[in-house]
Amino acid sequence: MKAFEYERPVGVTEAVALARRAGSRFLGGGTNLVDLMKLGVETPDLLVDLTGLDLAEVLEQPDGALRIGATVRNSDLSANDAVRARYPVLSQALVAGASGQLRNMATVGGNMLQRTRCPYFQDVTKACNKRVPGSGCPARAGEHRNLAILGASEACIATSPSDFAVALAALDAGVTALTTEGEVSLTVSDFFRLPGDEPQRDTNLPPGALVTALTVPRLDWATRSAYRKVRDRASYAFALVSVAAAVDLDGDRVRDVRLALGGVAHAPWRATRAEEALRGGPATEEAFSAALRGELEAAEPLPHNGFKVDLAHNVAVRTLTELTGVPA
Amino acid sequence: MTVTDRRTPVRGGVGTSAPRPDGVAKVAGRFAFSSDLFADGMVWGHVLRSPYPSARIRRIDVGPALAIAGVHAVVTASDVPGVNAYGLEHTDQPVFAEDVVRFTGEAVAAIAADHPETARRAAAAVVVEYEPLEPLVDAEAAITAAPIHPDGNVFAHLLISHGDPAATGDVVVEGTYEVGMQDQAFMGPESGLAIPADDGGVDLHMSTQWLHVDRDQVASALALPPGLVRMTLAGVGGAFGAREDVSLQVHICLLALHTGRPVKMVFSREESFLGHVHRHPCRMAYRHHATRDGRLVKVEARMVFDGGAYASTSGPVLTNACCFAAGPYAVPNAVVEGWAVRTNNPPCGAMRGFGAVQACFAHESQMDKLAAALGMDPVELRLRNAMQTGDRLITGQLISGTAPVAELIRTCSAAPLPPQDPAPDPMARPGGSGRSADPDRVRRGVGFAVSIKNLMYSAGFDDFSTARVRLADGAATVTCAAAEVGQGFVTLAQQIVREVLQVEDVVISAADTSSIASAGSTSASRQTWMSGGAVEGAARAVLRRREAGETGEIEETYEHHHKPTTPLGADGQGDAHVSYVFAAHRAVVDVDLDLGLVRVVEIATSQDVGRVMNPVQVTGQIEGGIAQGVGLAVMEEIVMDGGLVRNASFTDYLIPTALDMPEVTVAALIEQPEPGAPFGAKGVGEPPTISSSAAVAAAVRDATGLDLPRIPIRPQDIALAGS
Ligand SMILES: Cc1cc2nc3c(=O)[nH]c(=O)nc-3n(C[C@H](O)[C@H](O)[C@H](O)COP(=O)(O)OP(=O)(O)OC[C@H]3O[C@@H](n4cnc5c(N)ncnc54)[C@H](O)[C@@H]3O)c2cc1C
Repeated sequence: MKAFEYERPVGVTEAVALARRAGSRFLGGGTNLVDLMKLGVETPDLLVDLTGLDLAEVLEQPDGALRIGATVRNSDLSANDAVRARYPVLSQALVAGASGQLRNMATVGGNMLQRTRCPYFQDVTKACNKRVPGSGCPARAGEHRNLAILGASEACIATSPSDFAVALAALDAGVTALTTEGEVSLTVSDFFRLPGDEPQRDTNLPPGALVTALTVPRLDWATRSAYRKVRDRASYAFALVSVAAAVDLDGDRVRDVRLALGGVAHAPWRATRAEEALRGGPATEEAFSAALRGELEAAEPLPHNGFKVDLAHNVAVRTLTELTGVPA
Repeated sequence: MTVTDRRTPVRGGVGTSAPRPDGVAKVAGRFAFSSDLFADGMVWGHVLRSPYPSARIRRIDVGPALAIAGVHAVVTASDVPGVNAYGLEHTDQPVFAEDVVRFTGEAVAAIAADHPETARRAAAAVVVEYEPLEPLVDAEAAITAAPIHPDGNVFAHLLISHGDPAATGDVVVEGTYEVGMQDQAFMGPESGLAIPADDGGVDLHMSTQWLHVDRDQVASALALPPGLVRMTLAGVGGAFGAREDVSLQVHICLLALHTGRPVKMVFSREESFLGHVHRHPCRMAYRHHATRDGRLVKVEARMVFDGGAYASTSGPVLTNACCFAAGPYAVPNAVVEGWAVRTNNPPCGAMRGFGAVQACFAHESQMDKLAAALGMDPVELRLRNAMQTGDRLITGQLISGTAPVAELIRTCSAAPLPPQDPAPDPMARPGGSGRSADPDRVRRGVGFAVSIKNLMYSAGFDDFSTARVRLADGAATVTCAAAEVGQGFVTLAQQIVREVLQVEDVVISAADTSSIASAGSTSASRQTWMSGGAVEGAARAVLRRREAGETGEIEETYEHHHKPTTPLGADGQGDAHVSYVFAAHRAVVDVDLDLGLVRVVEIATSQDVGRVMNPVQVTGQIEGGIAQGVGLAVMEEIVMDGGLVRNASFTDYLIPTALDMPEVTVAALIEQPEPGAPFGAKGVGEPPTISSSAAVAAAVRDATGLDLPRIPIRPQDIALAGS
């Protein structure tokens, strides 16, 4: 690991000022950043520890939204009463991630900004366009069983690993960030990006920006929401595919629906096409299946990850079926 | 069945669940593992490894590393004073690569520095100019490919021809099977401490499976007389075969001699994955012939084992796979061909089950296929062909010891099936905490498998064990170099001495190479028999002297040998083995057909143990072995890509969690004393792993109707419909 300096600011202004220094990185719980430093993937000169900042609160806003400070720990948020009651999908997505010990350390800001698990990204002896722009992408012809089937580019087929972010995408959450120029607000959908020919950028966050809060808008029918995750073992593993869904039912019809897929793309994949197809239609398994097949028409699987197309379809149909109480 | 303690006059004798002497310290966190060692003035070692599976080394410049403050030494191949090679069977693996590297992770240089981080940075500063070469990663191609090592690409080629090779049966079934590369995944990474001595030698404290053979390899590389390399066993955090080969032993001893300081090294998890051998991945093509009433007529098999870059124990692993290719069944005719080859993949060698695991997956898959073709119950088919004492292996060797195969099959298959919970907890469904399975989409399956494996080394590699017992002041002390790797030999040694001498106070002294001769390796399920036999022999010698009236201090040393074995002849026939152990497993699984997720609900097992020496320890071995068997069946695999390991971490190489672990039901422990074995006891460590994987695979097939010719079985193997 390369030598680095360490600062623990107490104010956000100080934190973003420190972040202007070349080679600086924010440190949340460190559960991803420190691992990557050990692998030599991240080589910061300065770590700006965020855990001394006053950003660890979950506040209900006057408009009914929930404002989640960026340094709230994953465990704390998953156990938060308001989250559990109003947004089950969010709480379930959090507890589906990592292990108890990791969730106790991990911050929600760090969770959003954790880097891809692509094996080539994590191996500094190998080419990777995300790590070293222009160096190439060996994953396409190599080990890509768990890489993207949607929205990938020639340059990059990495997936976003965060479970939490998939739930946030489904809930139309917003991200508030601070730079020395001032505050920026983005929706989660605009925050994450597809790799295109700039895979080195995971997000559309301006350089040096400090995520201060996540805002989950009021959505009364999100009480009917769920997160399901398919992985290689019963606990403590990243997703092969996952789904975050919320449904508003009007009798046996879908009044409104939110659907996002995880493990399939460089960003949480908001299934807008499927949502469109479902809105106003019958809440039947056939309708769910057709909507998902439509959504997944855009899939461009590689030789070893084609199974994810079916998994995504199956797990999403199941989740919608469960939420709407449609007999199987 | 429940295991009941047998009472003996002295507490903690043979047959009781005597507590482990190291148990409390281990669970309380007070036990010193090899990674906890410390010495004054100590510096830290680190190994620079090849990032390429195959490359020529053009140039190495250690100058920039040496220039870093805090670096004490950088050593490469040219600094190895003795033979720059080691290996358990063949010394074909360089201590440090010279002109070429043959696998990703091969050692190129080693550094000693004042801090582990300094050593790592120094490693990064060493300039190595590589000319990458096209790696040879296909085992089948390796048989005929241009040699990638002066010793050639074929580690072993074996032919077994038994009975009439032209025999045919009424019913013939074929299949090709594959097993992925499994890691031993022990918790305690490779670690050790080497301390230079005034006499020019070195004291090495190390977690290993076999002290004396490590010592000999270190001495040869360092050009020291073996007596000047003194090895002491340091606390071992699991082994399962991965510590049988030399890892960092030579590197830290060399650094200690170079710097004149104690040198400690602890592998990171990634290095551990790159720095020890794995279970051989393999491909096995089978054809079974049987009569219409289900008697096996002939088994044909061709097996290709990928041994990776260096020989390690590829030869004996292949011998085992071939000898047990037909499983625990009486088979009059067999034609088996086996290859173990060199590739640019990571070296493979010993892992719990040692060749029998791979063969078992194939022969048991074939038995199920045959049962289906015959329209016969798979358990009935196995019973009909079950091997018994007096039968012969396909190597022609007579099974003279106990072989309670039919009892195992009967008791295990008769265990009541676990009830099907109509509304199981979501966590107890396939997918576990991912909450992904709906009970009405889950299908239950049941599978059965039976296994055979040898105990002790084989084919003429007849080793021994040595133990010393001293009785003084009413307390006994045992000295034996057997490596306690977690299996509980230290407990058994105490129990045996208590039983023989009727003294309760038994102390196990440190295992080292200076105070006693070799105990052989902690592998091949052999220490209960071999070192147990040595301890018993020494204790009985002490007893005879005490009974003859001696008082004072009495000390005796005993060397235990098993009956001799011989290598297989050109036709693969011969008495290559000492004794056999058998097990049966029945797996019950729930499979989510849409998502490809498997939950192993229960494994019932019956095991041939000879004698239960310690009920709790037998259960521990059964549960631990099943965890590894389940892991191989449904998740564990080192993912290779062109000679590169893609998942060298516990984040990416998945082993079962508590939630993945099934209920284990011990249907029966069959106690038929094995002739020639101390107390009649057979080793119990390996069988739980061997047939549990095959049973799980069979159960998943039962639930899905799929062929599933490869383990691990993963979601994409089940949920592929429609894509
Ligand atoms: C074994 C293992 C298994 C895991 N399994 C899962 C899983 O199944 N699902 C899942 O979702 N996750 C999983 N994770 C990932 C884990 O959730 C993340 O590591 C964690 O959420 C990151 O949070 P952190 O606070 O520790 O981030 P850090 O490691 O501190 O930071 C991560 C990144 O975010 C940046 N950052 C942190 N906070 C801010 C901020 N406020 N503003 C701007 N940038 C910031 C850092 O600079 C860094 O680049 C797993 C991790 C491990 C090690």
